[in-house]
Amino acid sequence: MTELRLAGVSKRYGDTETSTTAGESEAEAIALQNVDLTVNDGEFFTLVGPSGCGKTTTLRTIAGFEEPTTGTVTFDGDPMTGVPPEDRDVGVVFQSYALFPHLSVAENVSYGLKFRAPPAGLTVDERVRELLELVDLEGMGERDPAQLSGGQQQRVALARALAPAPELLLLDEPMSALDARLRESLRRQLSRIQSELDITTVYVTHDQAEALAISDRLAVMHDGEIEQIGRPKDVYREPDSRFVAEFVGDNNVFDGRVVDHDGERATVAVGETQTRVTLAGVPTDATHIAACVRPGALRRETTQNQLTVDIETTEFLGERVRVHGHWNSVPIVLRLAEPPSGETCSVGFEPEAAHVISSSET
Amino acid sequence: MLALLALATAAVLAVMLYLPTGVVLVNAVVEDSIPTLAPFVDVLTDPFYFGVLADVFADPLAIGEHLHALAGWLAAISISVGLEYRLPLPFVQFELPIPWVGVETPGVRQGLFGFTAYQAALSTIASVAIGLPAAYILANYEFYGRRTLRSLTILPFVLPGIMVAVGFYAMFGRSGTLNTILGGVGLGPVAFVESNPLAIVILAHAFYNAPLVARITVAAWESVDIRAVETARSLGASERRAFRDVVVPQLVPAVLTGALLTFIFTFMTFPIVLALGGLQLATVEVWIYDRIQRLDYTEAATLAVLETILSLGLTYAYLRYESAQTGLSQAASPPPKEALFPDLQTVLSPRRLAILGYGLAALILFVGPLASLVVGSLTDGSGFTLRNYAFLLERQLEGESFQTQPWPAIRNSLLFGVATLVVAVPMGVVISVLTVRAGRSGTIIDTLAMLPLAVSGVVFGIGLLQGLVFGISLPGGWQFQVTGAVAIVVAHAVAAYPFVTRNVSPLLSNVDPAMVESARALGASRFRALLDVELPLVASGIVAGAAFAFAISIGEFSSTVILASGSESYTMPVAVERYLGRRTGPAIAMGTLLLCVTAASFVVIDRVGGRYEL
Amino acid sequence: MKRRTFVGTLGGGAIAGFAGCLSREDTGDEDENGDANGDEQTPDPEPENPDLEGTLEVVTYESMVDGDNPAGPWLKDAFEEAYPDAELEWTRLPDQGINHYINSAEQGESIDPDVYLGLNIDDLVTVDDNLADGGLFRELNTGRIERSGRIRDGLDMGDPHDRVLTYDTGYISLVYDETEVDEPQTFEDLLDPAYEDALLAQNAQTSDPGQAFLLWTIDAFGEDGYLDYWQDLQDNGVRVLDDWTESYYGAYMNEERPIVVSYSTDQVFASAEGHDLSRHQVGFLNDQGYANPEGMAIFEDADQLDLAYAFLDFALSNDSQAEIAERNVQFPAVEDEYVDLDEEFDQYAYVPPEAVTVGYDDLRGNVDDWVDDWAREVASQ
Repeated sequence: MTELRLAGVSKRYGDTETSTTAGESEAEAIALQNVDLTVNDGEFFTLVGPSGCGKTTTLRTIAGFEEPTTGTVTFDGDPMTGVPPEDRDVGVVFQSYALFPHLSVAENVSYGLKFRAPPAGLTVDERVRELLELVDLEGMGERDPAQLSGGQQQRVALARALAPAPELLLLDEPMSALDARLRESLRRQLSRIQSELDITTVYVTHDQAEALAISDRLAVMHDGEIEQIGRPKDVYREPDSRFVAEFVGDNNVFDGRVVDHDGERATVAVGETQTRVTLAGVPTDATHIAACVRPGALRRETTQNQLTVDIETTEFLGERVRVHGHWNSVPIVLRLAEPPSGETCSVGFEPEAAHVISSSET
Repeated sequence: MLALLALATAAVLAVMLYLPTGVVLVNAVVEDSIPTLAPFVDVLTDPFYFGVLADVFADPLAIGEHLHALAGWLAAISISVGLEYRLPLPFVQFELPIPWVGVETPGVRQGLFGFTAYQAALSTIASVAIGLPAAYILANYEFYGRRTLRSLTILPFVLPGIMVAVGFYAMFGRSGTLNTILGGVGLGPVAFVESNPLAIVILAHAFYNAPLVARITVAAWESVDIRAVETARSLGASERRAFRDVVVPQLVPAVLTGALLTFIFTFMTFPIVLALGGLQLATVEVWIYDRIQRLDYTEAATLAVLETILSLGLTYAYLRYESAQTGLSQAASPPPKEALFPDLQTVLSPRRLAILGYGLAALILFVGPLASLVVGSLTDGSGFTLRNYAFLLERQLEGESFQTQPWPAIRNSLLFGVATLVVAVPMGVVISVLTVRAGRSGTIIDTLAMLPLAVSGVVFGIGLLQGLVFGISLPGGWQFQVTGAVAIVVAHAVAAYPFVTRNVSPLLSNVDPAMVESARALGASRFRALLDVELPLVASGIVAGAAFAFAISIGEFSSTVILASGSESYTMPVAVERYLGRRTGPAIAMGTLLLCVTAASFVVIDRVGGRYEL
Repeated sequence: MKRRTFVGTLGGGAIAGFAGCLSREDTGDEDENGDANGDEQTPDPEPENPDLEGTLEVVTYESMVDGDNPAGPWLKDAFEEAYPDAELEWTRLPDQGINHYINSAEQGESIDPDVYLGLNIDDLVTVDDNLADGGLFRELNTGRIERSGRIRDGLDMGDPHDRVLTYDTGYISLVYDETEVDEPQTFEDLLDPAYEDALLAQNAQTSDPGQAFLLWTIDAFGEDGYLDYWQDLQDNGVRVLDDWTESYYGAYMNEERPIVVSYSTDQVFASAEGHDLSRHQVGFLNDQGYANPEGMAIFEDADQLDLAYAFLDFALSNDSQAEIAERNVQFPAVEDEYVDLDEEFDQYAYVPPEAVTVGYDDLRGNVDDWVDDWAREVASQ
């Protein structure tokens, strides 16, 4: 099993050199700036970020499809500089599945076994059968890939990547082409297989919900840099930056001026009307802050920090409703058990529910 | 491995292409071992070559004067709308009452380059106009012999110019086959050739190139995804509209490829123009050839450089365009083919009648000259005769060893053809692989790789002679020489690989790069991924390219004749020329043999190759 | 009948089967053959014991070897019979014709063949324009060629360096269809409306009969007048096709036009092929035909000098002259008393009342310009 480390990895594209990569078109080939990260042995690690943030470039650098301009990639301490993809012992699954259309399902799965012997003394056929079972595709070996559904094709791609028992599994937006329900079931299946095999896995997605749901740890990327690395709940609860706060999950972010601080709690003036709210966790010497409050923390029954929100849209989500509106020209999103009646809605939050993203003096 | 192949390809190109052409072209810019541009100035300012443009080249800064001249010319244009327009086709003797805007322009001296480009443009339009209906029929209808017909579309490509010229005269001459048939129904005779030699030349160019356009377009048409058409229909597009919006954009690159190749070929046309049109319709290539004959290499090279710059410029422009056309769908579900004549009622529908009409015209244009040629080899002044074939047989059975015999010619042609295919296909594929994903620098390499198409055949021939057959002196008294059968094959491969590249590149750029990367991540080397994944997916392009490579080899003449220094290495076209004397019959009989052997080969290639197509 | 198209053939050393070779030039500086320098003496004095053993290499145009019923194989057999220790080896004239040997000489390459069979006057002019005067071929000692005295007057090629002997000749004439037009008598007749759009000629740049016809008009109208004449011919609709084959076999035989520039031996072929001779009438303008004598010469550094002389003499023998003439369908070079031709040949092959030809001296330094001026005139767009 393998520990993966990226140290100071940067990637710059020359003016003339362009690279057309799998997930990204030419214009989106993204430079990387000083990416540092460590993926622990057996960990399910996710790179998440909006389109163009560099997550796919990072993955391709790990796989060996791109060479970093500076910095190193090491597998268990072995530098991978100059090692071509075929010698890195990685399994890759792409968004487009990239199944070989001229080969049958079984031939696809066994392709990597031409170059690396099947593990544990299995024959090629046995290994293929084992992998097809693992992804619930028993008996499909003779089919052509074109005869399978999208979800089935993606599972074949997964089986194919896993067949040679790689040290590292790399998945590049593997579910984006699938519908939501299928995505969820496949996600669970992937989780199960990953923990069963205990294989170090790097997963790339633009879907923050998926990243939160599936990862042991994740890295949020933006403009070629890593904004934050952490466990899903830490990243969710304590975003390090405004970008992370807004990108990961629904959030309400506002800026304010500290008008008073009693050592524990600060009084902050927010928005045009300089409405006062009370927040916990504000550094004592801060004069300006940005803070966020998750929609779930804004409750009707809470009396502290009362806000009156002008309601714009209401989405019915089943168990809850999501309400978009404005308060004091700050965009607000709420999650309520019942849809509000009327054009406004009063909610409050506890000072401890707010998380201060950044602060500055002066 | 891939790097080795690329290196080998580069070496072959350096020795068999860049060296010989360089040897000649350097004459254009070096005089008495001093670099000079004087030859270019001489040619560019000669009205014989550049017509009115020569004045502009001579004094490019006298803009006022040139504008004045242009204004005077524009003022002299008169526009009239008439009801009578006579189609500029030789066989339309009657006036068609078509409203027509007549534009009367005062004559412009085109110069040799101007006229060459003009006739090439007309030939390109004609070839596309004649080739597209054929592509439509071959791609959309199922009928008996369709596959064979598709295989044979490459046939005109291999015919020596003299055969086509003689075939055209035998078909369209005043006592030719067509007039004989017309006479049978009380019409004619019509002087097809005499009344408009330019039109006949253009038809002959179409004879060569329309099948090329058709072949390339059929391939693209068959890879149109019918689901895209269905999507357009479901979104409310009429059948016609869906065709325009979905099918046409996918055909355009193929049609443009065909048009580009046609323009380049007809720009450098040589035997056909003089054979059918006469010296009055001379092209640049005629003058290049003449300059070389007169040992005036400087002017020949200068003309050739200008010709090559033009061809390469067009090629570059096209390749830029082609590389912008990404994301054509893979043939997930090609359009179904309709039966051409399912029942009598359908036969009488306007569309079927139009197809029948086109078929008849195609029969006259394509089959007519070939059939007339065959008939010519079987007749003389007193009617049916086998003496031309008896000549071949006798030469084969009783000929002296130093004489040219039919069987060795056939054997050599086939051997060289297969060997060319074996060399040209890897070369073409390697260049495709190297250029397809390399962005703009790839386009430049790709353009340079198309050089064999853009260099005058005459210049290439003389370059081979001077650079390789005579040999190049190296320091230390060493002499570098290349001749013989292997050299012939390599020269053929150099001429042929651009067709492989042009057939493979568009398909290769459609292969999902993630497939190659998947294979590599699974442990395959780049070369192995090419073999296992990409090549099977572009098999149809490789088969098409291989067929072209074979055809180029069979038909190639000028470098074969130069490199075949051993009398053992002659091919069928060389034999045709050697038998050509005051009695033309034996050569025509040999040409007929060439026709039959080649036709059979193509059917075999397409059948065998067809198994590998997806 | 040598066809000067780009489509010649390359014969020669059988080095098939290998592509590249690095070879070391023979740098042993043997003395240049001293013969070329001895201008004042009789060249090539007759040796006491001529060496008539070995292989004689003769280069010639393809129809001499590969045509229908060619003279080449006969000559080989007959020569080897006459000289039992000798072997005659045919070499096909390389692509580029005489230019090939000019290039070889310029680059200092050795030239393999001993004899060149099928030389035209303008080939000699090209040689002398590009190499030193009197180059490439040896000055002949005609005293060693007994039969050289048999050559008819007027077939001398006029070479000041005496390098060439004529072995046969053809006459360029018009061939016309008497059912369509009357015989044109003079060059001016061809400008008559009766002959509008009637004449097919060939490109003088590439075709032998084409160039011969052009030179004929220069003979008739002079250097200063021929372009005007051609301008008039163009106004009257002359068509200049590339080569003899397409103009004759293509256009003329398919009745595109009733007159073609061709050879005065036309009926020999027409009758053999069973054609109606009314379309194969031979017309001599101004009662002339343009003579295209074909000559033979010995290369400067021929290995088999004695055999080469023997061959030249042999080619002028009675039998050789008859066979070359009939198989090549050309006229013998020797006086009538030294050759017996088939009656049929006599019947169908016409000799013009007067033969004209533009000699070496006039061609020298002019022919390229004449042809170029003419071609630009015809091709001007």
